[in-house]
Amino acid sequence: MMNALVGKLTRLRYAGLFVALCIVSASVYALNTYTVDNKGSKVGFSGEHVGMKFSGVFEKWQADLVLPPHSNPSITASFDLRSAKTGDFTYDTALLEGDWFDVKNHPQGSFVSDSVEMIDGGFKVSGQLTLRGFSKTQTFFLKQTGNKLSANFAINRLDYRIGYDSDPEAEWVGQDIMMILDLETQ
Amino acid sequence: MSLMSGAGQGNRYHSLSILLHWSIVLGLMFMFASGLYMVYADISRADQFRLFQIHKASGVIMLWAILLRIGVRIFTKAPAALDALTPTENLQAKLGHTALYIALITMPLSGWLMVSASPFGLPTLVFVDWINWPHVPGVARNKAIETIANNVHWITAISLATLILGHISAVVWHKKKHKINLLKRMWWSKQ
Repeated sequence: MMNALVGKLTRLRYAGLFVALCIVSASVYALNTYTVDNKGSKVGFSGEHVGMKFSGVFEKWQADLVLPPHSNPSITASFDLRSAKTGDFTYDTALLEGDWFDVKNHPQGSFVSDSVEMIDGGFKVSGQLTLRGFSKTQTFFLKQTGNKLSANFAINRLDYRIGYDSDPEAEWVGQDIMMILDLETQ
Repeated sequence: MSLMSGAGQGNRYHSLSILLHWSIVLGLMFMFASGLYMVYADISRADQFRLFQIHKASGVIMLWAILLRIGVRIFTKAPAALDALTPTENLQAKLGHTALYIALITMPLSGWLMVSASPFGLPTLVFVDWINWPHVPGVARNKAIETIANNVHWITAISLATLILGHISAVVWHKKKHKINLLKRMWWSKQ
């Protein structure tokens, strides 16, 4: 009687442990899988034009993040280049033009990760950033602070032939464009 | 002279022509000055950029003024040719004026074409941002057309400056040789 009860309790305990493990692993999975967009998060850019700093954001974008310790981590994002806004009408109009974002032929930009590694304080992300039909490997540090993920990294606009006809020597528009990610995962 | 034919206007240009003539004089001074300054002066890129945008916007206003001027010239009666001149001299005067009109209209048109064909693709905002002046269609990012328009803009600027010099010299010459003050024809003066 007593033994049977102990046996039952032990089985229950194992079952409980199993359920608990399931919950933990599911939440590890869930906690590290996010879909984020412009609500509460920001994907922006900044650079220099005629020696003056400009900055802007993409108003329409979406990203899917599957982060370590998930066994198969990945980050994919797409952003609508037509939604680039700097608050300056001249910039906003020119950015859409053929030599800049060329939105007529390439309305979307994208990022697809090749690798996402967990490192101290966040993740080391490497992947293909595609703009105007040109893909280049970009590697950056995605910092994690609580439920916030952020990154700042420079890209060379000439790698994507952005402003290549207008200003290949970067006399007017700086060659380096900072990409600014401020993501909130909850 | 009847009131109908002249109303005190028989020997001068139409009021609108006079107003436009002198407005365009002021406008041209600004366009020449800003055009040369933005290209040659040792100024910051930021100032250079701003001046380019101002020059472009002002050029659009010049285009309207010049088109209006040509319209008024076509639909109103110009003062009669000078009796004191030989037919050849009168013809030369006519050709000189026609050349001035052509140069005047070519300036903003070539500028507009250059801006439209430039790969920069910058808009032209007139009166700060009241009017977003369109680009000439079909020439976007066309460097060949941009270069041609650029050359035309320069050559026309030099031609226009030369013609204006000739225009002023003619006024002086007529005053000296024929004792005629032609400036009266381009002002609201009593004859």
